[in-house]
Amino acid sequence: MTRVRLSLKQAPSLRVDLRGVKPAAFAGLTLAQIEHLPVTHGTQALPLAEFFSVTCEDTPELGRELVFEGDLSRFDRIGWQLAEGRIVVTGSVGDYAGACMTGGDVQVQGSAGLLAACEMAGGTLTIAGDVGDHAASTLPGSMDGMRGGTLVVRGRAGDRFADRMRRGTALVFGDVGDFLASRLVAGTIAIGGRAGAHVGYGMRRGSVVFAGAAPAIAPTFVPALIDAAVAWQLLARDLARIAGNHSGPFEGLAARRTARHLGDLAADGRGELFVAV
Amino acid sequence: MSEARTINGVVIDDTFAEAFPMKATRLIITAHNITWAYHAAASATGFATSVIACGCEAGIERELSADETPDGRPGLAILIFSMSGKELAKQVERRVGQCVLTCPTTAVFAGIAEGEAIALGKNLRFFGDGWQMSKVIAGVRYWRVPVMDGEFVAQETTAVTKSVGGGNLLMLATDLDAALRAAEAAVQAMKRLPNVVMPFPGGVVRSGSKVGSKYPSLGASTNDAFCPGLYGLAAKSELTPEVRCVLEIVIDGLTEADVGAAMRVGMQACIEIGSAGGMLRVSAGNYGGKLGPFHFHLHKLLDAGGGSA
Repeated sequence: MTRVRLSLKQAPSLRVDLRGVKPAAFAGLTLAQIEHLPVTHGTQALPLAEFFSVTCEDTPELGRELVFEGDLSRFDRIGWQLAEGRIVVTGSVGDYAGACMTGGDVQVQGSAGLLAACEMAGGTLTIAGDVGDHAASTLPGSMDGMRGGTLVVRGRAGDRFADRMRRGTALVFGDVGDFLASRLVAGTIAIGGRAGAHVGYGMRRGSVVFAGAAPAIAPTFVPALIDAAVAWQLLARDLARIAGNHSGPFEGLAARRTARHLGDLAADGRGELFVAV
Repeated sequence: MSEARTINGVVIDDTFAEAFPMKATRLIITAHNITWAYHAAASATGFATSVIACGCEAGIERELSADETPDGRPGLAILIFSMSGKELAKQVERRVGQCVLTCPTTAVFAGIAEGEAIALGKNLRFFGDGWQMSKVIAGVRYWRVPVMDGEFVAQETTAVTKSVGGGNLLMLATDLDAALRAAEAAVQAMKRLPNVVMPFPGGVVRSGSKVGSKYPSLGASTNDAFCPGLYGLAAKSELTPEVRCVLEIVIDGLTEADVGAAMRVGMQACIEIGSAGGMLRVSAGNYGGKLGPFHFHLHKLLDAGGGSA
């Protein structure tokens, strides 16, 4: 039994915390045991079967996989601290999707709420729709944001995308809100659409690539006199690879010329903005 | 020599080349154009003919087109061999630091992925005096060091692999022209193969050596048994009066099979020239089979296309 399918019966009245519902947690459990796994609904602990009808399949060629079917917008922490295996969600998800994951693969075919991929350290999180504010950033009160792995958002992202991020790669195909890459420590971010105000506010190091519209650049950035062609080739080729076959705004990225800006000089000042022209 | 084989008038001695285990790495040097890649690669693989005094043996393996390199620029693959991983690490750092970092427009990448990692740009980054930048791309760390023409990009580490050094062929000919012609043809044929380099100048060495010397301080000295000028003088000679010139090719390769394949195509090039072209004999250097674990028997190579340990 390697693929567990959880089909939503009906939307819950309160928010449900799905931390702990991971492919590895089902190893060695019978169908009945899985159905009785407790999840938090508001302040109550209820069995998983209260919300989902559970089926199991033998798919040894796929490895461990967990499939959620339905609109899970009220279900938070899907893929929380995931270390291995694969989670597929056919609809949208709530907050903290893929947060703190260290490995494995999460695919959301809808949109995600707030704080998606926050403090993500490894693995891959792909969201076909949009993500809310603070994606790839920190848990509230924490000092470091995303610190590894790959986040791909095929839609739009909210404000404070990648706040305090320090490692890993995050792609957004569409537009992003204000304060993109604020207080960025390091890592790579690529944006296919338009960016809001205050790009790279207080960024220390790291790279932000703009494959779509050129952003408004703060006066605390300086234009670079060299184009860093080798680093650009390494970076752009990898971004196109991550973007995959339908790479949209990232298609042919390596062949484009760039304008580079260095900053934020109000912070460490060793970050860079690559604007593809 | 008791069962020597003669093909196209060329005698192939019933002997073997004796080779040794070494540690090796491949580096990919790219540049704005192939000319500058050659400048860096030639410099980095210079003074690297023999581990006896150079610390390593190195050479240019082949040219890489723009679509074969990590950064889409033309480049070269070089191979560096040493007797230990520690010495290899020292040589890589010195040579890349002095010959690649310094060369306009170049970047350097690991050419081997599997194996123990040694520093490539890991320590050279400190040349950046704090302005260096790290970039992790697809799980690989690169260092970007600001230099006067832009920035020098170097992968953090390269991998060390076990390898084989000291495969060799001796070409015995009627005169200098014939020996050079055979050696050049053999080197050209070997250069078409991957995973091998011929570290001596032009791939050829004239100063073949034997173990030991009459002078106690020297560990190796001229191979008098193969010196035509000592025929009739030295107590023991491997030559006949017709042989007036002997040249040697030394081959280092990533695997035993690679060295064997290079020796085979080298021999075939010599055979093609034949006795009509002044090529008389092909032999090989060994130490009685007691020192090196890899024995490349010339006849077996011609028959089966592989060496045997």
